[in-house]
Amino acid sequence: MFRFTATPFIARTLCRLAGIACVGLVVASSGAQAGSRIMSTGGVSAIEGAAGGGLSPWAVLSSTASDEELGATAFASRAWLDDYRLTVGGASLNVYDQVELSYARQRVELQTLGGELEQDIFGAKVRLFGDVLYHPLGIWSAGVLHKRLVDGATPTALGADHTEGTDAYLSASKLLFAAAAGRNVMLNATLRNTEANQGGLLGFGGDQGGREWVAEASVGVFLTPHWIVGTEYRQKPDNLSVGREEDWQSLYSAYFFSKHVSLTAAWLDLGDIAGLASQRGSYLSLQAAF
Amino acid sequence: MNQIPTRTYRTLARRALQAAALITILASVGGCAHTAPSTTLYERLGGENGIESIVERFLYRVADDPELVGFFANTNIDHLAGSLANQFCAVSNGPCRYEGPPMERAHQNMGITDAHFNQLVEHLDAALREENIALGARNEFLGRLAPMHADVMRYQ
Ligand code: HEM
Ligand code: HEM
Repeated sequence: MFRFTATPFIARTLCRLAGIACVGLVVASSGAQAGSRIMSTGGVSAIEGAAGGGLSPWAVLSSTASDEELGATAFASRAWLDDYRLTVGGASLNVYDQVELSYARQRVELQTLGGELEQDIFGAKVRLFGDVLYHPLGIWSAGVLHKRLVDGATPTALGADHTEGTDAYLSASKLLFAAAAGRNVMLNATLRNTEANQGGLLGFGGDQGGREWVAEASVGVFLTPHWIVGTEYRQKPDNLSVGREEDWQSLYSAYFFSKHVSLTAAWLDLGDIAGLASQRGSYLSLQAAF
Repeated sequence: MNQIPTRTYRTLARRALQAAALITILASVGGCAHTAPSTTLYERLGGENGIESIVERFLYRVADDPELVGFFANTNIDHLAGSLANQFCAVSNGPCRYEGPPMERAHQNMGITDAHFNQLVEHLDAALREENIALGARNEFLGRLAPMHADVMRYQ
């Protein structure tokens, strides 16, 4: 019952945040000045909107805004899997490299059987301490991702307990200078507390379980200051008996044309999804940052 | 009833294995950081002449940057150039000893922000590129200076 009384308030607050992010984007892009942080230290946009790799949020904050700057990003991503197509669009705002607010809209279309699922993801990330380049322990951040299904009928029918949920995560990122054949290596580890089934697109919780901690990690090598290749791994909960849920992994390549534009391509292995076996495919993501 | 614990167990076991594998990968990547190259970094930066050229290019770039040049308004540039060259030489295992003040004292109360710091790093990296220093040497050199951030920023 709590859920019903709290919902309008949360919705209003989050929509306001998204509004702020949107205004920030317009303001920042009209200036069209890059932040002063070193190129690529904002990562790219993960599918849930936060700055990160493709599958997992990282501790770095989006764009290249530094301690006295505002930054913003906008992105569009698409994954082509065997039976599904995932489309994501979103934006983020970085305030003084301390707080990141993000929004993403995900849509997954079931290619073979028809039908689609959509969710909104409102994110906030706070930098706890450190710096990805300059601090020996890297940068540490904590964040939340609040997810709301647009239409929860299908996930509920499949056994999900809720149609909205919130992930909380703690993340650490560190660049190791000249760590592999003179190349810089990016490390990231994230611990996430979640009850989201398939990231939330199949609802939250279920007959097999609820909230749990999962680990995510990635390693990438900057072949040049513009080009990073690497791999990500993301553990997943497994809450629905109708279809086994498996961990996600990717091999990615991200190219930073400048501080403003990056293009990420990846090969994904998302395992079984909702009873359809072994979903693999490709991923493209374009990000603009200001 | 029986099914759930078994499944949970298996999940836990799988989790533990994966976590162990990830930690191993991360740790082994970290370990590579200490493989010694055959020549010193000092040589790869071009020795004494190379470092002098780097410092000169670097300072010219800083002098051209309206947001940074003000910090050096009361600085004896010749002294700064000499001291920087000495520090770069020492940091890269060259035959020098840095004899200037510690970083926190050299920069105290200047009002330096992270934005200034990043800008300065970009000028240094650009100077290294203009001197055709190889990517590996550039990364290693910047990696040795990066931890000084804490000292430079201590009393801002
Ligand atoms: C051979 C090289 C250089 C020459 C010929 C040179 C020349 C000059 C001249 C003529 C001025 C006076 C400009 C004016 O008052 O309108 C000036 C000011 C200045 N230069 Fe240089 N400069 C050189 C290198 C540098 C370097 C390497 C730096 C710092 C990294 C530097 C920092 C400054 C600063 C801080 C001022 C004062 C600006 C002010 O007081 O508002 N200069 N320089
Ligand atoms: C890792 C980064 C840095 C290193 C390794 C470094 C190194 C040095 C060194 C060796 C000196 C000479 C000290 C002496 O012999 O008196 C110096 C002086 C100076 N540095 Fe830095 N520095 C760094 C960052 C910065 C930043 C970010 C700024 C400001 C934008 C800055 C501004 C200055 C100024 C203005 C001086 C001259 C102080 C004076 O006139 O006595 N430095 N720095």
